[in-house]
Amino acid sequence: MTVATSRHLTPASPEPAGVDNRLVVGGAALTWRSLPTPTLPDPVAVLAHSAVHALTAARQHAVHGTELLLSTASRVDAAMRTELLAAGFTVSVLDDDGVHPSAPARPRAAEPGRLWLLTSGSTGRPKRVGHTLDTLTTVRADQPDRTWLCPYAPGTYAWWQVVTLSLTQPGQHLVVVEPDELDDWPTVAATQGVDAASGTPTFWRRTLYRDAEALARVPLRQITLGGEPVDQAILDQLREVFPTARISWIYASSEVGASIVVHDGRAGFPVDWLDRETPGRPTLSVRDDELVVTSPYHGAGLAGPIRTGDRVQVLDGRVLITGRLDSDEINVGGSKVSAGLVRGVLTGHPAVAWARVTGRRAPVLGRMVVAEVVLAAADPSGADTGVPDEAALVRWCADRLPEHAVPRRIRVLTDIPVKETLKSDV
Amino acid sequence: MNELSRAQIRDLMAQVLKNQDKELPADDAAQLREIGFRSLDFSELALRVEDETGEELNFDAPGLRRIATVGDVLDFLVELQHQ
Repeated sequence: MTVATSRHLTPASPEPAGVDNRLVVGGAALTWRSLPTPTLPDPVAVLAHSAVHALTAARQHAVHGTELLLSTASRVDAAMRTELLAAGFTVSVLDDDGVHPSAPARPRAAEPGRLWLLTSGSTGRPKRVGHTLDTLTTVRADQPDRTWLCPYAPGTYAWWQVVTLSLTQPGQHLVVVEPDELDDWPTVAATQGVDAASGTPTFWRRTLYRDAEALARVPLRQITLGGEPVDQAILDQLREVFPTARISWIYASSEVGASIVVHDGRAGFPVDWLDRETPGRPTLSVRDDELVVTSPYHGAGLAGPIRTGDRVQVLDGRVLITGRLDSDEINVGGSKVSAGLVRGVLTGHPAVAWARVTGRRAPVLGRMVVAEVVLAAADPSGADTGVPDEAALVRWCADRLPEHAVPRRIRVLTDIPVKETLKSDV
Repeated sequence: MNELSRAQIRDLMAQVLKNQDKELPADDAAQLREIGFRSLDFSELALRVEDETGEELNFDAPGLRRIATVGDVLDFLVELQHQ
């Protein structure tokens, strides 16, 4: 084990502009400046033991430019660990006792300023995508002072978005919740005066489903959604609880960076944003139902138009991102169905809190649309909103969708499934 | 193996139609076209059989056949359970 501090090192760059922003981690009030400054190997893959260790590594990178891949032990399996060691990283667990390094198979020189992200791997093995603090920093204009909730897993693209905002802009404070605090985050957030929060639609649905009243007590002025398809129902539900907050959704990924930001409270983006070229801004196009992005914020080694693998559909002048191309499209006897659009119809039912739509093997048609749903808790006012059964939900869909797109089997689950990435794999 | 009887499959078939406010006639010779039981309904019925038995049906096993009456559907699904 190596424990060292960098007191004798000269910082490669001055402290970041947000160094005195407030950080609340596990109930403790800190600032970026008050975090310990361990000396890290370079290049290093840091497996942060908890949120404070992840923030420590981020601050260390901001000051020293250490080549860094940041993740957690649970997201790096044995095969990935071997891969990282082979790629020249010292894999180091960072915890309260310091740095616990494993030496790389083939040591190599570090690339100063390089940050690596592991993609979520929802479509196979996680891939390494190269960035820098600069390419990860997408909010550059001065922002009103905010206290942000950070519910994301350390080192993910979404985590870096919130972290770079707080590192680079004075007045952008962070309240970080650990995974075991996640279900109770509204209580923590209300106590800490959180007025801005970023989460996946699954994160917001779970929060509304578990305790909408506790959520309403959080003084939110900015609500951000991203990481999964954003449908109209979740935007409307949040609007009902927070009539005056700004509600934004963001399309971003490790590969193409933050490419779409929509503030008008509606799902999708205006169709006239397509193929519009503005210097310094991403250009959005559609090719064969796939979203294609050309962006100055691409990951390293990626240039020109990038096929995102996300399926889009134009409806009523809006470009809707409905899901992953390889899983969104269900072929029912030759008719194409977008799982995302069906999901949007289901979540539009007042009693449905969450839905997943998939294709299931069936005779004659090859595949058939089926769904799983979680029903919203009974109305606390005692009003009988009626708990729909399978047949009622099928009828709801039949009234709104072409016949072949109607899910014929709908299973009711008791809780919203969620992964560490706060996504549901919908 | 968990297997559904012809009568149980008939009940499921009635359920599929009832959800669309349609009725299943008692006569096995009733034409599917006349009662409005189409390929989507047939697929749904097969999934219901799978869900009841907890076993996947091997849809590829039997050769093509003509399914025109209620009886054809029931025979086919009874047979599929044996594949």
